Amino acid sequence: MKLSKQEFLSLSGMGHDTLNTWIEEEWLVPSGTSLELSFTEVDIARARLVRDLQMDFGVNDEGVGVILNLVDQIYGMRRALMELRRTVRSTSERD
Amino acid sequence: MKDPYEILGVARTASAEDLQKAYRKLAKKLHPDLNPGNAEAEEKFKEIAGAYDLVGDAEKRKKFDNGEIDVAGVERPRQNYYRDYASSEQDHPYANNSGFTDFMDSEDGFAELLRRSARAQANRRGHDLEYRLPIEFIEAIAGANKRLTLPDGSTLDVAIPPGIIEGQVLRLRGKGAPGSGKGGFGDALIEVEIRPDPLFTRQGDDIYLELPVTLTEAVLGALIKVPTPTGAVTMAVPKGSNTGTMLRLKGKGAPKHVGGQGDQFVKLKVMLPKEPNPELEAFVSGWESGMTYKPREEWHHET
Repeated sequence: MKLSKQEFLSLSGMGHDTLNTWIEEEWLVPSGTSLELSFTEVDIARARLVRDLQMDFGVNDEGVGVILNLVDQIYGMRRALMELRRTVRSTSERD
Repeated sequence: MKDPYEILGVARTASAEDLQKAYRKLAKKLHPDLNPGNAEAEEKFKEIAGAYDLVGDAEKRKKFDNGEIDVAGVERPRQNYYRDYASSEQDHPYANNSGFTDFMDSEDGFAELLRRSARAQANRRGHDLEYRLPIEFIEAIAGANKRLTLPDGSTLDVAIPPGIIEGQVLRLRGKGAPGSGKGGFGDALIEVEIRPDPLFTRQGDDIYLELPVTLTEAVLGALIKVPTPTGAVTMAVPKGSNTGTMLRLKGKGAPKHVGGQGDQFVKLKVMLPKEPNPELEAFVSGWESGMTYKPREEWHHET
């Protein structure tokens, strides 16, 4: 599902300026050009995570950047682990 | 739902700061996005978030303590968490391998496995995309060519094979989402939804139709044009037919999987004229066997 900037703002309940800041900080990385940004459901879910960090956990802006970086690395490793499990399974099936 | 204070593990007299502290402590351990390996986190997080939504807000807490609102209805609705996307195999812009690239650079067997995995991930086949396609009853029997317009405006031509049944899924190879690298496209899976027809119903490979006939047609017999899903045919209604008489049109049903066709069954329904008819009344009054025939004779009830 592709969302325009306007659709993203109304779905996430986010303000225009906040979005610009988050994109500048690279907390959100929409695709498309700077004139016409394009968002997906991943961006919505990620925006909700940032909101939880700020509002519910009281994390400040510096903290959000650090956490997102670590979170992305964890998910990257989880994907590698899943892929590894698949490789090991298919190898052992062949043996 | 349990008592919100109990869920957060604080006394009813706890200060707002203590409540927040208790909530944050639990939330850090249970937020689904921050604890992707904890399958139960989501349910538990929902519970504590719902509890905190209620008593973390001074006004709502006051109302709750006074018994003006209760715990029902404050639960957070189910939402898609970031982890649902980040853990999926689908590629997303935040995927990050920097947590283990150093492992891939070494020369041992484990590094080789990791590299192979990364290559597999880079050449993953695209996802299957699922669609629903509503079709007419007659199209399900006779087959049809349909065009599905996708959310992005592109179209997909779907050949409906004759005799398809409700809920059957058609697979269009290579019409799904693009894969990464040399992975190729996934498939489009199209679930068929058959709209009910005002005339026909279907049971297995057979088709049923109720056919209204006039009194004259029923008494004297007639040749009547009857609709079937593949076009009208002429059917002989025998002399002396009745309401409920079932006639069979052989081979006019749905195609069978094993070859051949089902049948169409036509159930007659004798219709008197809509308006009272003096001529008919005069005839029936003078018709002797109309008085002596006892259609309810076989009933054992007292009537």
